[in-house]
Amino acid sequence: MNNASFNRRQLLRAAGTIVALPAFESAGFRRFASAAEARSPRPKRAVFLGFGWGVTEETWLPDANVTGADYVLPSGLAPLARHQADFSIVQGLANKFANEAHWGSTFWLTGANRYAEPGQSFHNSISVDQVVAEQLGQGTRFPSIQLSCPDGVANGHGPGLSLAWDERGKPLAGLDSPLRAYHRLFSDDSMPLARRQALLAEKRSVLDAVLADARRVQRVLNRTDSAKLDEYFDGVRDIETRLSKDEQWMTVPKAKTSLAEPPSGVAGRDEIALMYDLIVAALQTDTTRVITYRQPVTSLLSSLGIKLAAHDMTHYTTGERLEASQRRDVAQSELLAGLLDRLKATQEPDGSSLLDHTVLAYGSNIRTVHYLDNCPLLLAGGGAGLKCGQHLVLPKDTPLASVWLTLLHGLGVEADRHGDSTGIMKELQA
Amino acid sequence: MRAGLLYMLLLVVLAPVAGAEPVPARLNETQRGFFRDYCVECHNAETQEGMLRLDEIPFVIESVEQADRWQKILNQLNSGAMPPENATQPEPARKADFLDVLSHTLVTARKTLGDQGGRITLRRLNQREYRNTIRALLGVDVETSDLPADSGTGTFDTVGASQYMSGDQIEQYLALSRRALDESSARAAGGTQHHRAREEAEDFGNRRMDSLFKRTRELHEQHASWAAAVDAAAERPENLDIAAVLREKAKKPRPSSGVPYPTPLFFYYDWDQIKGAPPPTEFGFNDAQAAFFSENQYLHFFPYYDDYQKLPGRESGAWLLFYQAYREAYVSAGEDWPPGTYTLRMRVAANEAAPPERRFLEVGQRGDDVSDFTVFGAHQVTGTLDDPQIIERVVQISTDGKREFAIREKRPNSRTAEIRSYHDEFEKTGHGPVPAIWIDWLEIDGPGDAPSGIVSLTADSQGRAGARDVIERFATRAFRGVKPEPEYLDRLVALFESRLDVGDDFDDALKTPLSVVLASPGFLYLSEPSGNGGPRKLDGFELASRLSYFLWSAPPDDELLALAGSEELLEPDVLAAQVDRMLDDGRSHEFVAGFAHQWLGLERLDFFQFDFRLHRSFDDSTKAAAREEVYQTIALLLRENLSLSRLLKSDFAVINGLLASYYGIDGVTGDEFRRIDLPDHSPRGGLLGMAAILAMGSNGQVTSPVERGAWVLRKLLNDPPPPAPPNVPQLARLDGQLLNVRERLRAHQEQPQCANCHRRIDPLGLGLENFDAAGKWRTEDTLVRDGSVRKTWPIKPAGAFFNGPEFNSYLELRDIIASRPDGFARGFSESLIEYALGRPCGFTDADLTAAMIQRARSKDFAVREFIQALVASSAFRSK
Repeated sequence: MNNASFNRRQLLRAAGTIVALPAFESAGFRRFASAAEARSPRPKRAVFLGFGWGVTEETWLPDANVTGADYVLPSGLAPLARHQADFSIVQGLANKFANEAHWGSTFWLTGANRYAEPGQSFHNSISVDQVVAEQLGQGTRFPSIQLSCPDGVANGHGPGLSLAWDERGKPLAGLDSPLRAYHRLFSDDSMPLARRQALLAEKRSVLDAVLADARRVQRVLNRTDSAKLDEYFDGVRDIETRLSKDEQWMTVPKAKTSLAEPPSGVAGRDEIALMYDLIVAALQTDTTRVITYRQPVTSLLSSLGIKLAAHDMTHYTTGERLEASQRRDVAQSELLAGLLDRLKATQEPDGSSLLDHTVLAYGSNIRTVHYLDNCPLLLAGGGAGLKCGQHLVLPKDTPLASVWLTLLHGLGVEADRHGDSTGIMKELQA
Repeated sequence: MRAGLLYMLLLVVLAPVAGAEPVPARLNETQRGFFRDYCVECHNAETQEGMLRLDEIPFVIESVEQADRWQKILNQLNSGAMPPENATQPEPARKADFLDVLSHTLVTARKTLGDQGGRITLRRLNQREYRNTIRALLGVDVETSDLPADSGTGTFDTVGASQYMSGDQIEQYLALSRRALDESSARAAGGTQHHRAREEAEDFGNRRMDSLFKRTRELHEQHASWAAAVDAAAERPENLDIAAVLREKAKKPRPSSGVPYPTPLFFYYDWDQIKGAPPPTEFGFNDAQAAFFSENQYLHFFPYYDDYQKLPGRESGAWLLFYQAYREAYVSAGEDWPPGTYTLRMRVAANEAAPPERRFLEVGQRGDDVSDFTVFGAHQVTGTLDDPQIIERVVQISTDGKREFAIREKRPNSRTAEIRSYHDEFEKTGHGPVPAIWIDWLEIDGPGDAPSGIVSLTADSQGRAGARDVIERFATRAFRGVKPEPEYLDRLVALFESRLDVGDDFDDALKTPLSVVLASPGFLYLSEPSGNGGPRKLDGFELASRLSYFLWSAPPDDELLALAGSEELLEPDVLAAQVDRMLDDGRSHEFVAGFAHQWLGLERLDFFQFDFRLHRSFDDSTKAAAREEVYQTIALLLRENLSLSRLLKSDFAVINGLLASYYGIDGVTGDEFRRIDLPDHSPRGGLLGMAAILAMGSNGQVTSPVERGAWVLRKLLNDPPPPAPPNVPQLARLDGQLLNVRERLRAHQEQPQCANCHRRIDPLGLGLENFDAAGKWRTEDTLVRDGSVRKTWPIKPAGAFFNGPEFNSYLELRDIIASRPDGFARGFSESLIEYALGRPCGFTDADLTAAMIQRARSKDFAVREFIQALVASSAFRSK
């Protein structure tokens, strides 16, 4: 590629980036759609919830000797009892490359080999939600939405800005408060259209300017450095893609929601509950079909009146730390049960429920304390044709990425592999 | 391949270098026998047990695939899965030796295979450098916590190959630089008007405490009247039975009342079961709950308030309480004051009746919640009521930041700790903790002279040409002396003009292009052009940047840029003189802190919160001072060009009043860190005697001899143990048993796969057991469970290095470590190379490392010699 003569728009073409027009599948339109349209196949959705520091294995993981439908929910999952037929618990999973005891989310959805690039101490690859978004996300306003919490390290998530990593293995930023998420999803810009178009044009001029300097720098670099600077060009291209998408949707008002604007400064249990409300609202209005949420643990503990740092809690032994760890599990399960309630209660135009068309994965790369094998995982919903109501114990160290691959196929994404996957897991399929 | 393999690469940079040529990773032939007897017996050409042949696997590891195969073998042996139970088992010692050799060989293999041949990958400003560079350019601090930290992935944050860039990040740079420009211009527009606000403590504190005292007493009297009436009713014959029942019931705790301990007050709480008892509303209480609460408050706090009334000095000041009511004093800058640098000033005294470790105050800001307090720093209070002292501290006020500042007595930063500490003291003495800090007044004044940026943003003319001048000047400086291209400038000027078109004034319109400059590659990346051929010499500007980001984590100043422009910087004498000048400059603290934090792995200090009941005085301020001790000690070595080996053992410590109080060293007061000569046989002096280092080797409750021992091997002896196999169980199965640490660690010797490393690690960690989890000296170890001491043991530090000398005490252990400065110097040199050059230190650096050590050794390992030798090397001066 001749950098000297290439401009931003060529950059876009070179990347083969296609910006889809807003489909009139969008929710605002659908509300008035005919009954015939209501019978058309409902879109599939995917939700990934990651909780960093793992669980209390003794009271969260079901007895490995009792599998199938008749297993007993342990106390850490007890609040989910009313939904037991709608989810499965899977044991035996691991990301074989995971090696950092404090990184509960960095490789959770990617299954990447951190050292795949010689000479680099960190490498990641695309997360499964982004693979889904490439296919399911094109017709919606947002191909995917990343929800997050501040301070991923203290919350046991490890490096990253959300659960999501793009096709080049770079971290995607997350909306780290319900208020910010609400505004991104549902608040219309009050600025007049002409002004917004001018702002967009200015942003493009800014990109043109930094590209001009990037080309100057790159002209005199050696191969390795030039490849390194490509990350910058890639970043500019990502912004450009986003701007183009903004432009396409500029005249389409955002979907309306009955949710009130969340207060600022909400933390912990209420924060997670509000984010869950937003997840339901975003899916219901078809504002996006792919959502990840990197959940807070530190603030959850504070909101439960637990005065322990999350990391200290994970090193539990009998007593205060263990009790805190178990209360955390129960609180998280209660919140999840609430989310499942609402996904079930939300009706699709054809009379089915939102949960029927959604696949939801809930888990962490950390099992307990510092253990990275037998990662806790709960799969719910009918969106990807996975078996529900089951306790599945897979062979030890089955790649977590194989679950993601199976999930991809269930959603209709024809991927050959994901991360270190070894194949489709028939055991999971309904 | 399992996780263990990956741990290895973390250690690569610290592994010893054996010679100039890459060392082939070769398994010792003496291990062939073990391999034949216990592995190949089943996995051979004929049997191929498990479809696996090992008889042909080479003993030299020359590819990633071979390393992966050997790693699998190591994992199988480590997990105990191989040899299988029904097969002949090796002697434990033989197995341990084999594992030892194999794991070390794999470390070497990873290092050889990962060697980048000295190639430096383009790097960008990391989070620290970005913040410092913005400060240098614009004179303001920006909040950079949203940017990637660039650390925590096993290398230094200067290593380009491990950094990344993304679209989100570019947008963050644009937003941050805009904020910085706005802040900078708001400060410049502040004008010269001086502002001051002062709070007299007695106005607020005493009034508050007096009314609390009076009100608590009144409510108690009301409660007494009510209780007397209830008692009278209870004595009536028809009530005798129920009264007896209720009095019995009051002896049981009622968590539902919010009070989890029994109290006679419960009897009155149940008044409505006593016929004819008057309701609490007749005595001025809303209900029984309110009456219960106020009387309970009286019982627990009135003595505290009563004592307060008798304190001296209340006519002109007030005492800060440890708990309740007047625990913090505040002062606020006015909403209309301009952003800038202000001085917070307070006139204070300490109570000589309070224990010395409590005579410190903390300056900070309160958060949204009562338990949130952001501590800026701690100050020792040495003034007395007769002769109070004035303490000053510089604070920053930004456009959108908080304007209220607070002081309080130094304390564990948690509400629970506060409550618990109060009640512990109350239960012991019947009084609360005696107030330790008296305050006369607290004031804020300023702004001081705005630290201006190094580039003038004032245009000669208000037109297009003037704007272009400013943009070009700013970009050239932001690009560290490299001129931007005309096309780029054209686009920036066009942006400026379009802002003018939409109504911005000249200065505001300029901010858009200027913020773009600070998100452009010329600013963000330390680019060093090079062809695809061999290395070339850096030019003056490139060398200036490399040097200033090495020693200051900040951009070159005027002097460096002038020497760069004239190329004088390329002369060895000039370069060496600049190194000395830069190390003498205060900005070198950025190097000390940035480097030492990563070199010594100090991030572990923040992994755990310290249990305040076990380690009451190791609060956030002490922890910060302990961390600073490490930096200040290294800074002193640099300032005075002393020997690196002083970090292994030293007859002085660099501490302030807070740490001296913590260590129990008399005669040191004040907040400045300074060199203090230590008595003979002091356990302090050198890294091993520093609270920060010792606290890292704990979990916030008890010591971790494994962490400590491994740290000594890694950092001090440059003999890192191989990475721990993944998913090793904690020694939790021993939880219920009353064992001391030495007894618990004995479990490591049961399995050869544990013993092969732990026989090296554990004795060193156990030799440090005289330091508790927070680094205080002790001679006994106590097992505390559920708040009470269950068992006590005398500490026995005696042990021996694996296949090495014995030691009987911590001091002997320290002497042995101090007698081996070469390994320490090598580890230090390799880390410096990685930090300064922004790339892993590999086999190709063996000559450079050797040269650095040789030069330093000739001067008793004087620390500046390492740096001078590195800067003078061709590796540092070329790309």
